[in-house]
Amino acid sequence: MKTYEDLEGDGGSNIIGQVVQLGEKLRFRLDKIKHKVALMSGKGGVGKSSITANIASCLADRGYKVGILDADLNGPSIGHLLGVGNDQKLETKDNGVEPGNGHQGIKIMSMDMLLKSADTPVMWTEENDATAVWVSTMESTAIRELLADTNWGVLDYLLIDMPPGSDRIDNIRSLIPELAGAVEITIPSMLSQHIVTKSITKNNKMGVPIIGLVENMATYICPHCEKEGKLFEGEDVQKLTERKEIPYIGKIPFDTRVSQSKSGNLFYAEFKDSITGKAIAGTVDNIENFIKK
Amino acid sequence: MKFLCIPCDVKMEVQVDGIMPEEKQNLAMKFKCKKCGHSIAMLTNKFETEFVSKLGVEMGGPSDISKSPMAAVSSSLAQAKEELKSTDPEDDLIWTEEAEQRIKKVPFFVRGMAKKTVINFALEKGATTIDAKLMDEVREKVGM
Repeated sequence: MKTYEDLEGDGGSNIIGQVVQLGEKLRFRLDKIKHKVALMSGKGGVGKSSITANIASCLADRGYKVGILDADLNGPSIGHLLGVGNDQKLETKDNGVEPGNGHQGIKIMSMDMLLKSADTPVMWTEENDATAVWVSTMESTAIRELLADTNWGVLDYLLIDMPPGSDRIDNIRSLIPELAGAVEITIPSMLSQHIVTKSITKNNKMGVPIIGLVENMATYICPHCEKEGKLFEGEDVQKLTERKEIPYIGKIPFDTRVSQSKSGNLFYAEFKDSITGKAIAGTVDNIENFIKK
Repeated sequence: MKFLCIPCDVKMEVQVDGIMPEEKQNLAMKFKCKKCGHSIAMLTNKFETEFVSKLGVEMGGPSDISKSPMAAVSSSLAQAKEELKSTDPEDDLIWTEEAEQRIKKVPFFVRGMAKKTVINFALEKGATTIDAKLMDEVREKVGM
């Protein structure tokens, strides 16, 4: 009796051929994007999306063509930050879906853009007995489609705003083997540093280049007198970078205007000369220097 | 996964035209031995069906449906925008609202095959409109 290997093909579905085609479609998109950078943290609530949006703003300000993939499927916030509302009509063409056009021409793709209303959660089935296995499989497929089926066009930078945790990086790394690297983000609290350490260790084990660690909300800047004060008690974040042998690429003070710019623009575009704005620019310098190496 | 006809010792082929799954439920896929003509059905329960439907590939080979952007997301995402849902390729037949909703509920990875089965049945019958009754007739015909 013949065995699996003896039989050519798979009975007409050509699953392997389909998988190859999906890979080629993805490659077609990615080849037009020079640098792909993931921004991540093991910990939620450290300001990943806000930092991602403002790094994108700084890059756009320097004349680069920038896009952001919101890989935080269940907590998408990039559309909100970049001024692309859920009510904007989605433009689908035969060759892909048009990305949202955010502030400063930054292109974005986010689950929020695909859902019927702003308060609709991401659900892959409305059946109560959906299993975690389906959800996980579907999320991997969704990330691939968001990357491959968005008409990104030619970009200098694609920033990937990762969800909290370190599990999604496996998925991103397999889809984008040429990933320039990951920017890790933490706040000074011991809890955040403890969890981010795991993410750094995982990236090291997986061979994902770590561009460096950003210390967000490092201090508090008074909006009235611009005096700096401590916001969190915690061990010096620089010591963590020394211990893990990764670069310390940014110390970004908290500024209340980061989340509530009156004009609706991104913080960096409006306040680039502020202390926090300059810190963001310094971080971008370090990212650019890493990529140029 | 491959299926072997033991008496003939040859690979069985998936029958692209001849599938009409219950929407989002159990699925039966027909395979036939080209040599002796013997047919078998691979049965999957709703859990197995759902799992395969999330992979982004289609049984029976890629159809026009998978050429649509974000095909798996649009097919699986509950409460997706209409612009995303309307990416299935058009055909010359008229689909009633109910028939259209029923075919859209068929898992992504076999929807192309199911649609083809319904269209071929309608053309054979000389029908210009596909409605729920016709879809029931198709299911009756393919015996699932």
